[in-house]
Amino acid sequence: MLNVETLNLPNWADARAFVPELVMFGAFLAALLGDIIAKRRPWVPFAIVLFGAVTALSYAVAGLDIQAPAKILGDMVVVDGMSSFFRMLFALTAVVTVLFSWKSEEIMGPGREHKGEFYALIALMTGGMMVMAESTDLIMLYLSMELVSLTSYVMAGWMRGSLRSTEASLKYMIFGAMSSGIMLFGLSLIFGLTGSMTFEGIRAALSAGTVDPLALLTVTVLVLAGLGYKIAMVPFHFWAPDVYEGSPTPVAAFFSVGPKAAGFALMIRFFYTTLQPVVDQFDWPLMIAVLSVITMTVGNLSAVRQTNVKRILAYSSIAHVGYLLMAFLMLTEQGLQAILFYLFVYTLMNLGAFLFVTAVNNSLKSEHLADYAGLGFRSPWASVMMMIFLFSLTGVPPFAGFIGKFYLFAEVMRREWYWLAIVGVLNSVVSLYYYMKIARALYFDKAPEGAGAVPVPALQIFAMALLAVPTLLLGVMWGPLKGVADRAVAVIAGL
Amino acid sequence: MAADLVFYGFALLTVLAGCFVVFSRNVVHAGFALMFTLLGVAGLYAMLGADFLAVTQTVVYIGGILILVLFAVMMTRVPSQNAPRRGLDRMVPAGIFAVAIFALLYKVATGTSWPTATPGEALPTAKLIGVKLMTDAIFPFEFASLVLLVAMIGAAILIRERKVLPAEAPAEEAATEAPADEPEVTA
Repeated sequence: MLNVETLNLPNWADARAFVPELVMFGAFLAALLGDIIAKRRPWVPFAIVLFGAVTALSYAVAGLDIQAPAKILGDMVVVDGMSSFFRMLFALTAVVTVLFSWKSEEIMGPGREHKGEFYALIALMTGGMMVMAESTDLIMLYLSMELVSLTSYVMAGWMRGSLRSTEASLKYMIFGAMSSGIMLFGLSLIFGLTGSMTFEGIRAALSAGTVDPLALLTVTVLVLAGLGYKIAMVPFHFWAPDVYEGSPTPVAAFFSVGPKAAGFALMIRFFYTTLQPVVDQFDWPLMIAVLSVITMTVGNLSAVRQTNVKRILAYSSIAHVGYLLMAFLMLTEQGLQAILFYLFVYTLMNLGAFLFVTAVNNSLKSEHLADYAGLGFRSPWASVMMMIFLFSLTGVPPFAGFIGKFYLFAEVMRREWYWLAIVGVLNSVVSLYYYMKIARALYFDKAPEGAGAVPVPALQIFAMALLAVPTLLLGVMWGPLKGVADRAVAVIAGL
Repeated sequence: MAADLVFYGFALLTVLAGCFVVFSRNVVHAGFALMFTLLGVAGLYAMLGADFLAVTQTVVYIGGILILVLFAVMMTRVPSQNAPRRGLDRMVPAGIFAVAIFALLYKVATGTSWPTATPGEALPTAKLIGVKLMTDAIFPFEFASLVLLVAMIGAAILIRERKVLPAEAPAEEAATEAPADEPEVTA
């Protein structure tokens, strides 16, 4: 007979450590129900999800000073410094996206469908991303990735009448299914090699040093196929420009930061906890260095030729993955701190840049660079903030992007990978060209005759300011955030 | 050894049927071939002592999912002239790539010492799986229900017949025609 006392069951303490996720999943269900009960009142699910995201954000911020990692829910997930950091990041992303979508024509315009479900799915995806950042078991790694992916496919195809949106959804799904399949094969080999499903068990088995380096490299590449797809790393990036272009812009904005940061979180969690003892025993650093160079170069060079602002931003976000990967090559603590710091800054500035596209798209109905002529004078506030985001993305002082890039490059120099640093700097110069192309359109190109003002609703200005002000502040006062990132890496589980 | 012979029989069934799935130009034939692949895998499960998994594989995949796949294929079949062309320009790089991957995996599989365990007496696994699902693995079990829920919602959202204006219509027109935010769905 079973003895209930000896069983490993979730308990009340687990639930208390898991509040932000429970709030997001609860908001998802409540928003679905609210949408059914309160028909034609999309503000009900909107308010529920906004409230949920703000609650999760405050819980996440309160959890930042966590002292020791806690394994919960049958050791499937872990709550530590890093999961607290990413909870905060995802909740913030959700708050801004939800606020912004409310006034977006592509989601809330007349004749659009499923307005309530949109907010519900944002809540679900945010909860899924949080779980991605805390998984410590191969089962949870896969399930959380699938939850985020499936939600993404649906949201990419949100504008059902639009061929581009349908194409985006289908491409995303086919690429996603393919790379999950490859990753699953890799995971099955890892289980075969180490006989363990938990990250800690895998680490212990790998530390014993009995695993053949070639086998280790092979399974790492296979797993990277799945995770690389989530972060849009070359050569698994082909979906990104088409998906960002075809999806509704608020969704593209969310995709370009949320799932990407979640993918990085899972990559850090998985590779840092499992491979760190054996990182110099096989070609991991060289592989990551090469992937990083290819990713940033392909991203930047492709962005130069684009005329659609969404596509420019899509390729630019691929390039930023390349910069982030630079600090990943030795799996050191300083490298991870730099990545976490940069991910936060990247979320602020990239989300902001996409939100600008959403904001002007409402009345401009175009995402082409040519139609952006003179926008600096037609919607002054939004354009000024867009300039902040663009300068920050380029990485010039005194904006937050500069500090973030500084830490990334510092890590590369510390590990004496000088050629990689040089390639990174050259790439930043290339990126200056296309970011300034947008800036030139905004301020130096003449608006066509009779072009009126492009009004941006106050709510959207507010949401953009939520991102622009920290982007400015973090450029001069980055200490507090750096401290948070350092602490997050210090209290990491499984070591 | 008889057990080896049975194993190679199932493995051959799986691989050959799998090749047929990939190379067949007729989608319906490919769907039927998939049945043998799944059956072969179920056989392998049974040989490993995973009785519950083998039965589930048969009932769920062959009995349920495969039938749905075949229905979907038959109802949405495109005219055969739309079939993708298969020129040498694609077959050659794909073939080289496939052979390279196979060589790599073969080298990995043979060059590594896989930790193995001698199986004990094969016991029924259903009870053990049930207990695990309700204790250690209860979180993934519940989490999977969220994954399934979003799949259902997604299917409903993306597939349901449109009851409102095309999304691409200019906003001004839409505003005059549809004063209400969301027209009632007349089901």
